[in-house]
Amino acid sequence: MSKVVHKSGQTEELKNLDKLKPNKIIDVRGAVCPHPLNLIRDSIISLKDNEILQAVCDHEPTAKENAPRFCTRRGYPLQVIEQNGVWQIFIQKIEKTEPRLRVLNVSKVFKTNHGRVTAIDNVDLTIQEGEFVCIVGPSGCGKSTLLNLIAGLDKPTQGEIWSNGNRVTGPGSERVVVFQEGALFPWLTVMQNVEFGLKLRQVPLEIRRTLALDYLKLVGLDEKFHNSFIHQLSGGMKQRVALARALVMEPAILLMDEPFAALDVYTRETLQEELQNIWTESHKTIVFVTHNVQEAILLGDRVIVFARNPGRIKAEYEIDITRPRKIDHPEVFLNTKWITDDIKEELEEPAYKADTREVVYK
Amino acid sequence: MSKRLTKLILFYLILVGLWQGLAFLKLWPEYIFPTPLGVLKTLLTGFEDKTFIIGILISMKRILIGYGLSIVVGLCVGLLIGRIKTLDETVGSLVLGFQALPSICWLPLALVWFGLSESAMLAIVILGSLFSIIIGADTGVKNVPPIYIRAARTMGAKEIQLYTKVIIPAALPSIISGFKQGWSFAWRSLMAAELLYVGLGLGHLLMMGRELNDMNQVIAVMIVIIIIGIVVDRLIFAKIENKVRERWGLT
Ligand SMILES: Nc1ncnc2c1ncn2[C@@H]1O[C@H](COP(=O)(O)OP(=O)(O)OP(=O)(O)O)[C@@H](O)[C@H]1O
Ligand SMILES: [Mg+2]
Repeated sequence: MSKVVHKSGQTEELKNLDKLKPNKIIDVRGAVCPHPLNLIRDSIISLKDNEILQAVCDHEPTAKENAPRFCTRRGYPLQVIEQNGVWQIFIQKIEKTEPRLRVLNVSKVFKTNHGRVTAIDNVDLTIQEGEFVCIVGPSGCGKSTLLNLIAGLDKPTQGEIWSNGNRVTGPGSERVVVFQEGALFPWLTVMQNVEFGLKLRQVPLEIRRTLALDYLKLVGLDEKFHNSFIHQLSGGMKQRVALARALVMEPAILLMDEPFAALDVYTRETLQEELQNIWTESHKTIVFVTHNVQEAILLGDRVIVFARNPGRIKAEYEIDITRPRKIDHPEVFLNTKWITDDIKEELEEPAYKADTREVVYK
Repeated sequence: MSKRLTKLILFYLILVGLWQGLAFLKLWPEYIFPTPLGVLKTLLTGFEDKTFIIGILISMKRILIGYGLSIVVGLCVGLLIGRIKTLDETVGSLVLGFQALPSICWLPLALVWFGLSESAMLAIVILGSLFSIIIGADTGVKNVPPIYIRAARTMGAKEIQLYTKVIIPAALPSIISGFKQGWSFAWRSLMAAELLYVGLGLGHLLMMGRELNDMNQVIAVMIVIIIIGIVVDRLIFAKIENKVRERWGLT
């Protein structure tokens, strides 16, 4: 019997294996690429606190693969043992630090004239400090609903949301949202828009100006537009201002709801690149909603795929591509293809198919 | 622009010319059919002996007080109705009902409550403009794009800040339209009320013209009333409205 201790950075070794009893055992031998270890990761998610998972695997899991990376990120202790060409992975789910954001069994039901609509159903999600998480899914799967709940703009019908150990009960400037479009105030200049939140906080004018200038520079808006009105800007410039207006609040979590969806391809690529740069420098926690798988892979550390009817998490992927990522990077392309294949039926399901379920034929 | 102006001037010269021509024919006595020259003379003497100036000042004082009160009350009520559903469903319906009532219809009630007095006059002016102002503010608030409010809330705006920093500025174009309409209703109501009540003012000067069988005076006062109406509407409200619409990117 030989022992292979997993040698990934901060991963802690799970000790006293002989005394611990796994609560769950899964066998992923023969599971098909691209992501056999995703199965392990999904099992970890379904564990309760302190429970132990034993996974049986037919190759040596490397530090870069999904499950080990997932454990490293969360600080779950892990141990890998080799036995006759079979690898046993033991993982204990111990939350070491308070995660940045916890979405606990959250559901949201809207009451409309046509009855009740379950926008999201039983969503469970943990986001660590500094993570860049992308949520992707077809139209109407509840991405915006989830983002609004996290922002505190709406209340969950069921479940709880915790931000850095505090229960979310309403909106707050530690969770600022960047919307798709049309959220800038037309009666204010660019500069005044960026200063808006600071003014609410009664930050003195001088400091406000300096901060606003810093962030406008960070998002790359030309100085000659600082005193323009919003309707005088192009779509790309507007989103830069929106980003600056959110970042200047120094939110603990930046929530973005399809911020680049209304832009043309070239502008979108530039902004994606700049967002990546900003994130690489600041390591701000970002939750980014999009319906574009490629965009999600380009930007995210983790991609969460939503399914529709009711809105729920269908799959989760860790994205390991080194940054800065380029849209034409082969790995971005490959991952996009894999994930798209994986979730094909979900993405291709036409909206009418979903609707007909509710129609009653007489 | 100058071409338009030339056309306008020409049109009025021809109009006045025709009018003076008709007057020369002497088909009717002058106390029935006034002449341009007579009107001009009355205008000049009216301003010279200050009767017109006093009339204008008195009417302006009434409208400024009444309209000012209307703005204060109407703005408060409108802003609240726009945002508070229960108020909208109750007070809102009342406002819509009253808006349909020409304000001069309040006169009998106002006369009974306040007597033949300045207060009755003010009441008519207020009731004439109040509902338009309320509806302008109310519509403005209701049409504030929800995304503005959501954006402000995620940046930490509290309810009062939402009003002062988002809702009111966003509703401003509609509020201004309400002010503009309120002004023109107030002005009309005041003239109607002054006709029926002896109390100086421009409306009273009109009635005096009738009693003295001096149609020149009637026309002269009418011209003054028209000019004041146009000046306020075109030079004040339209300017503000255009500025606001331009800045808000609505043009
Ligand atoms: N305020 C609301 N009232 C009633 N139903 C709602 C409301 N908001 C969302 N829904 C419903 O909830 C479901 C999810 O909507 P949501 O806007 O979250 O989807 P989405 O994933 O953001 O879609 P898209 O990609 O088109 O933005 C939809 O069926 C939608 O009709
Ligand atoms: Mg959406």
